[in-house]
Amino acid sequence: MVLFGLFVLTRPVLGQDSSQSDLTLKSEELFEKHIRPTLIEHCERCHGQKKQQSGLRLDAKEGWEVGGDSGPAIVAGDMDSLLLEAIRYEGGMDMPPKGKLPDSTIEAFEKWIQLGAFDPRVKRSNHSAAKTTTPQQVDRSFWSFQPLVTPEVPRSADTKEWATLDLDYFILDELHKNELEPAPIADRETLIRRIHYDLTGLPPSVEEITAFVNETDPNAWEKVVDQLLDQPAFGERWGRHWLDVVRFAESSGGGRTLLFPDAWKFRDYVIESFNRDTPYDQFIIEQIAGDLLTSNDHLERQRQLIATGFLLLGPTNYEMQDKDILEMDVVDEQLDTIGKSMMGMTIGCARCHDHKFDPIPTADYYALAGIFKSTLSLIHSNVSSWNKVDLPLDEKQETLIAKQEAELARLENDQKSKQNRIDELQGTLKKMKQINVDSINAVVLDDIDATREGVWKESIFIAGYVGKQYIHDENMGLGEKSVTFEDAGDAIGSYRLYISHTPGSNRASKVAVKIRHVDGETSVTINQRPPGPIHGSFTELGTFTFSEELPAKITIANQAAQDGVVIADSIVLAPVAQSIDQTFPTLASTKSPEQQQEIESLKSQIAEIEQEIKKEKQAATIRPVAMAVSESQSPGDIEIAIRGVTSQKGERVKRNVLSAAKWEPFQDLDESSSGRLELARWIADRQNPLTARVMANRIWYWMMGRGLVRSLDNFGSTGTAPSHPELLDHLATQLIEENWSVKSLIKTIALSSTYQQASSLTESSAFDSENRLYHRANRKRLRAEDIRDTLLKIGKTLDPARGGPSIKAGTKIEYDYQFESRRRSVYLPVFRNTLPEVFEVFDFADPNIQQGKRNESTVASQALWLMNHPLILDQTRNAAKALLSLELNTDKRIELAFLQTLGRFPSKLEAEIMEQLAESINDTAVGTPSNEQELDQWTMVYQTLCQSVDFLYVN
Amino acid sequence: MDHLNNLNRRTLLRSLGCGFGHIAASALACSSHAADSTSELINPLHERQPHFPARAKRVIFIFMQGGPSHVDTFDYKPILAKRDGELEVFDDARVLAKTKKITKHRIFQSPWKFKQYGECGQHVSELFPHIAKQVDDLCFLKGMHTDGVAHGPATLFLHTGSINLIRPSVGSWVLYGLGSENDNLPGFVTLQPSMGNGGPRNYNNAFLPSIYQGTAIGRAGGRASDIKLKNVTNSRWTRPQQQRQLDILRRLNEQQIAKHAGTAEFDAVLNSYELAWRMQITAPDLLDLSQEPEHIQNMYGIGQKATDDFGRQCLMARRLCEAGVRFVQVNYGDNSNNPRWDQHSNLEKHAEHALNTDQPVAGLIQDLKQRGLLEDTLIWWGGEFGRTPYAQSNGTGRDHNPDGFTIFAAGAGVKPGFSFGQTDEFGHHAIQNKVHMHDWHATLLHLLGLNHEQLTFRHDGRDFRLTDVHGDVVHEIMT
Repeated sequence: MVLFGLFVLTRPVLGQDSSQSDLTLKSEELFEKHIRPTLIEHCERCHGQKKQQSGLRLDAKEGWEVGGDSGPAIVAGDMDSLLLEAIRYEGGMDMPPKGKLPDSTIEAFEKWIQLGAFDPRVKRSNHSAAKTTTPQQVDRSFWSFQPLVTPEVPRSADTKEWATLDLDYFILDELHKNELEPAPIADRETLIRRIHYDLTGLPPSVEEITAFVNETDPNAWEKVVDQLLDQPAFGERWGRHWLDVVRFAESSGGGRTLLFPDAWKFRDYVIESFNRDTPYDQFIIEQIAGDLLTSNDHLERQRQLIATGFLLLGPTNYEMQDKDILEMDVVDEQLDTIGKSMMGMTIGCARCHDHKFDPIPTADYYALAGIFKSTLSLIHSNVSSWNKVDLPLDEKQETLIAKQEAELARLENDQKSKQNRIDELQGTLKKMKQINVDSINAVVLDDIDATREGVWKESIFIAGYVGKQYIHDENMGLGEKSVTFEDAGDAIGSYRLYISHTPGSNRASKVAVKIRHVDGETSVTINQRPPGPIHGSFTELGTFTFSEELPAKITIANQAAQDGVVIADSIVLAPVAQSIDQTFPTLASTKSPEQQQEIESLKSQIAEIEQEIKKEKQAATIRPVAMAVSESQSPGDIEIAIRGVTSQKGERVKRNVLSAAKWEPFQDLDESSSGRLELARWIADRQNPLTARVMANRIWYWMMGRGLVRSLDNFGSTGTAPSHPELLDHLATQLIEENWSVKSLIKTIALSSTYQQASSLTESSAFDSENRLYHRANRKRLRAEDIRDTLLKIGKTLDPARGGPSIKAGTKIEYDYQFESRRRSVYLPVFRNTLPEVFEVFDFADPNIQQGKRNESTVASQALWLMNHPLILDQTRNAAKALLSLELNTDKRIELAFLQTLGRFPSKLEAEIMEQLAESINDTAVGTPSNEQELDQWTMVYQTLCQSVDFLYVN
Repeated sequence: MDHLNNLNRRTLLRSLGCGFGHIAASALACSSHAADSTSELINPLHERQPHFPARAKRVIFIFMQGGPSHVDTFDYKPILAKRDGELEVFDDARVLAKTKKITKHRIFQSPWKFKQYGECGQHVSELFPHIAKQVDDLCFLKGMHTDGVAHGPATLFLHTGSINLIRPSVGSWVLYGLGSENDNLPGFVTLQPSMGNGGPRNYNNAFLPSIYQGTAIGRAGGRASDIKLKNVTNSRWTRPQQQRQLDILRRLNEQQIAKHAGTAEFDAVLNSYELAWRMQITAPDLLDLSQEPEHIQNMYGIGQKATDDFGRQCLMARRLCEAGVRFVQVNYGDNSNNPRWDQHSNLEKHAEHALNTDQPVAGLIQDLKQRGLLEDTLIWWGGEFGRTPYAQSNGTGRDHNPDGFTIFAAGAGVKPGFSFGQTDEFGHHAIQNKVHMHDWHATLLHLLGLNHEQLTFRHDGRDFRLTDVHGDVVHEIMT
């Protein structure tokens, strides 16, 4: 290439008078010799037939004529063509990215363009720039976008005996069409264990098992179901299901993982909502836009605000430095979670291009994104944070808080007016913006000469600084910055030190100032919020001695846990014997003794008031806060970011909903609102076919172990089609018609024959090996929480406390967190980077990903946990201790252990095997084993039962 | 995860043929027997064929957390000494991200002297005297650049190819693509990983099935001599007791499974206990370095104060590789927000980190070479980014530099004694033969016989890959 380029340079530059055909010829020559090979070698891999980065193609003339996202790449004759800019590495879009082309090649391009950019290549296939589909073009024919129908129940004569409820007929009909038969109803031991785990996540007690097994009342099953639905444990089990769906966590994970100390309120809100059976439509409206609803009392208001934490619980990298991108990433995460959790739609794909599989154009994405960009989710700083809101309290507490606030305001006013009077008397510095270094009668070390570590911003914004400026840390890079004052010249001996700062409410209240002196190092903390006590600028640091070997060195550092901006301005070293007025002669004003007395008196009054304020603040009721969104100050529509690149703005789109949905899009929005409430109502609308279908399918999955649509979070064309589309609509319709009652739909499923089938294989299994048609019950794995909770229950150490904070007080960071709590698993903190081991090993929902379906893996680390983890060893030992405290023979003991762990009586053979185990553990034992040996035996019996498949699965 | 359950009775019976009683006689003999006949079906991590013949079978990634400075180690820039102290305009990545402005910075010379080494004449600073002796085995990439200015994002990008979105780690992708070479150990191990800057997300499987997640052994801040695999020792039962228990468990499980009339889904459970038992027997020995002869330990600097800890990690890495672990990451890091090599001030501290790691890394390369393991093992040494050639805020250190830095590779499939790519005269931006982290990921997969565009996993209705829509294989560095 280089040689060719040089060759070009030696050619004479063409004159203006050259004929058109000559020009073309030369241009053609250039093209074939230099341009074409360069394009092929360096450009077409990313801008050719296979890929069109930024929408640009360079493998045909039309490609560069039309150009990419930034417009035409080449304009014949235009020496500022974008392509030239790019290959010259001028405009920031440096191409090719792997290294600049040789200068000679660049000059060949310049010449070629100057000559008219001859290019004989014609387009081979369609140009694929970022076009956006208009809503009219959107394909709405996909099944999940169709309105709900109320299908006729396929009853027929031969189905009557087995079917209990309408839903059974749909199952049976499909089985019969395939010439298959359903499984028989499961035995009562199996049923009682199944329903207990499915509704509460806990095993039935021995009494509950025996009572149900011996019950003859035909309504016994329904009674059990009703009882379980009424237990608080129901919400703990089903709330946790929803927490999976909405990627609940109590830390942000990722880079600098931050704790979410208020996230437990959202968890409790979810649990409570399931227990109260909050209508599902209301439940989702609250989570998207609870803050915009009206409420009847403060408790309802609390719930509504806490619910919107849903939008903020994502895995956000608050540390990201480009805040524009961070904001769009958060919006993206919100849309993605709403889309998948509530509508089974992967909206996120449309951030960069029209959705390839589902009818979601990019314009739809930005119409929705505008709504969340108009919502306040983030508070920015170097490491940003999430939005928080104050929670309302009951009338009594509110009155109390109002009183406290009024009292505090009164005290602060009083303090302020007294301070003003002092300032007035002292002839303050207020009007003096800048204090001249020479006006101070002492050694002055100014910030301008100090050594800075980290970025410090210079400022003259607040008056009262020494020298020409002061500097501050911008409240960023906490713990990383410092300013060191040195070179105090001949300041040897004892000196009284003063430090100056400019005050303000955004300042840090505890700034550490370190003074190195002959006796070592002293650290003094100063509050930079109020004006300095001396002339509004200076604070005395104390008296220190310096020597030639150890001259003065004063360092102001910002702290990792700083609560505001840190100021560095100047240090004054004055002889010890010198008075303040002598040190600051121009600031001092002559005051009469009366005035001096008044100042002293005011000062002591202020000190008293400060004490009172402190006391008041300590005694004050602390208002609880929640992670919650608010409306942004300036709601509005946003532009499409071309290819998802935030800085590349495209067309502005009106805030709106998915155009593929069949009913009316919402009306033009009130400019002062984000549109969140309208969106929430649109999602929860009974006409929205996705919302009810997705939730009905989830409930079916949580009960039956597999969804009618297996891809629970994806009802788009890359998801799976429903196995029983009519049944799905039947269930979705019921959900809506029973006022969106989740409990009611659960109960219906629980009472069906379909749910109550046995799980063993039948003759039909050979033809329906995946059980797509529900010819038997699916065997379900115990979840991580079930395993832990069951072990605690049989070990009799389960702490029954419900709700409330889950993270131990004083926790700063999730690493090394000790999960010692013995409460139910739903109350253990869920950190994104640190989970309890039992969660990690047994496929707990990864809180980094929105995923409504739990993985079900079987791996060696699970076996190792069941073999060796202290939790199972300790709890089984507790269970054994309790067992041995009862007066029972070996048979009865084995029976009881089986009931506690597997929820059933042992078979004869099983009992024999366990008896052997109990005997075999101490092979050296002769005669009666010792108490300790007996305890070992029964510990091992319990542990082995908990390792067996009938424990790990719910049949 | 359905394939986990696709096991048939025949397989089950075969695998049960070597129950726990038999394992007692010879755990490893049984393991290889099972591997021969049934691992394809029983073990979801079974070895898989690559897309095309692989140059490397396994990887050791030596992670230098915090961002070692390339201009003080391998990327020699004489101009820094000539113009030391002068102010010059640099488009600093952090300043740019925050303020979108370009400012002046003070050029800062390296406190360390450079010399050329080996036949290839590679420049190395006096920070790495041991590695310097190995340069003829190393392949330097000096035109690296990456995404992310802060540690969290850049570290996640290095490990997962994304600064903010949740994606599987490189090691998980490799394991997913190739499966495990052994059946009594995890296939992807990270030794003493940092809990900061992404923490477990740096070795997580994300949406890939959980069998592909990295197994952390120990954690940063602990001592390498103390680390062990979780749950492989029992505080209550002796080994014979536990063996009997597992025999009884097998009989109990057989009873229960028989009752359920031929469902295959339990076979994986039975298999998991067998694998667990083998792991429990194998793993502790593997991490026990006292079995290594003294001269080998000395090679890694074990026993010397500065190098003992990292030397142990490196030697464990070799032992894990020998035992068939597919992807081993050794970590020189800590759990802080300014990890190890992060010298924003006091650049001199680089000397401490170099001292701690130089001999262990050189020892590892040498040891792999003398055992012939370097022929099919790929070594990757590097941090999440480099450092600026100018002083940060005119102080005594250097800020992060994602726009240009150096990594090196060694072993299987890469040219020895080779250097590819360069930064500008100061060492700020990569300018020639640039290799983006995505390109390096693509290249790494290629060396393992995997096409980065074909190694995909369907999640959320679309196919994901390590390199997203980017990545070009760097063929120039390959043998």
